[in-house]
Amino acid sequence: MVNKELVQNKIEALEGTKEEFVPIEQVRELTNAIKSLFEGNFEEVNIELYGELGELARFINNAKKELQDFQPDSLSNEKLPEASDQLAAIVTTTEDATRKIMDSCDDINAIHERVRDRLLSIEPPLDPDVVASIEDSLMEAQTSSMQIYEACTFQDLTGQRIQKIVETLKEVERQVLRMVIIFGLNNENAKSIDEDKKKALQSDADLLNGPQLPGNSLEQDDIDDILNQLL
Amino acid sequence: MAVDKNMRILVVDDFHTMRRIVINLLKQLGFSNVVEAGDGKEALEKVHSDKIDLVVSDWNMPNMTGIEFLKELRADERYKSLPFIMVTAEGKKENVIAAVHAGVSNYVVKPFNAATLKEKLTKVVGEF
Repeated sequence: MVNKELVQNKIEALEGTKEEFVPIEQVRELTNAIKSLFEGNFEEVNIELYGELGELARFINNAKKELQDFQPDSLSNEKLPEASDQLAAIVTTTEDATRKIMDSCDDINAIHERVRDRLLSIEPPLDPDVVASIEDSLMEAQTSSMQIYEACTFQDLTGQRIQKIVETLKEVERQVLRMVIIFGLNNENAKSIDEDKKKALQSDADLLNGPQLPGNSLEQDDIDDILNQLL
Repeated sequence: MAVDKNMRILVVDDFHTMRRIVINLLKQLGFSNVVEAGDGKEALEKVHSDKIDLVVSDWNMPNMTGIEFLKELRADERYKSLPFIMVTAEGKKENVIAAVHAGVSNYVVKPFNAATLKEKLTKVVGEF
């Protein structure tokens, strides 16, 4: 404020002069006053900037402390990979179970065939109505067996969905690793992350596709409508 | 004209379970001359080495996806009209349109049953 008033006074003094030429001393005084005014402003700006930077530094320190409490290195090195392994184990388990179910369906179908053959080869032949009735029942059982087979597509769909979750977890793992490195939270662990792991994480992105959730995907009838229009 | 039930069908899927299901459904429909492949790349080799009459392929597979495999086929004059049914969990409209533009003959969304597969086969190869 002092500088501002000083400049104002100098300007008024210059405007009030009746002389044709203004003394150089007066111009110099005005220039110095203006210069001083701006310097003052710059100082104000600098102080403000330092203040902001100080706040930012405090914020970063707090965030860093919170992240350390959160143990991101343990999250990226242990918990997330463990979660991925658990999900992979689900895929393997359901795959094994599905294979056993399908093997059993195949066995049941083979048994049905054998029963049918035996039925037709019985001597003396059974009443044709009885044979037809048993054959109908066998056919029904085979249809049910086929439906079990069809239902086994769940393994493919859940497998793809779980794969999608695993890739998302890997992406989270990647981001946490970056955070560990950027913030220098536990440098020893950050340095110990081997290059193969980093490369492996990098190369997983192209398998992110998977089945859409119900509601995000078209039904077969909708697809048929599109095909009818385009094919 | 009656469909040749002895036609050679190439079933492509990276999931062994899924291949087994499709092959079993095809057998139920009377088609037992089936060849298998685990991805688009292997499928392309099978198309070149075996005389394939129809392809039933998944979309999402490692090495070469179903859509890439389809495009490779259509780029080759010999396979421009080889019947190709996409059987996939990719049920988004843009996927269907992309497959049509790539030259797919028909499109089945998973999960599906024998009736749907039969209907699509009939549309592609004729009544059987």
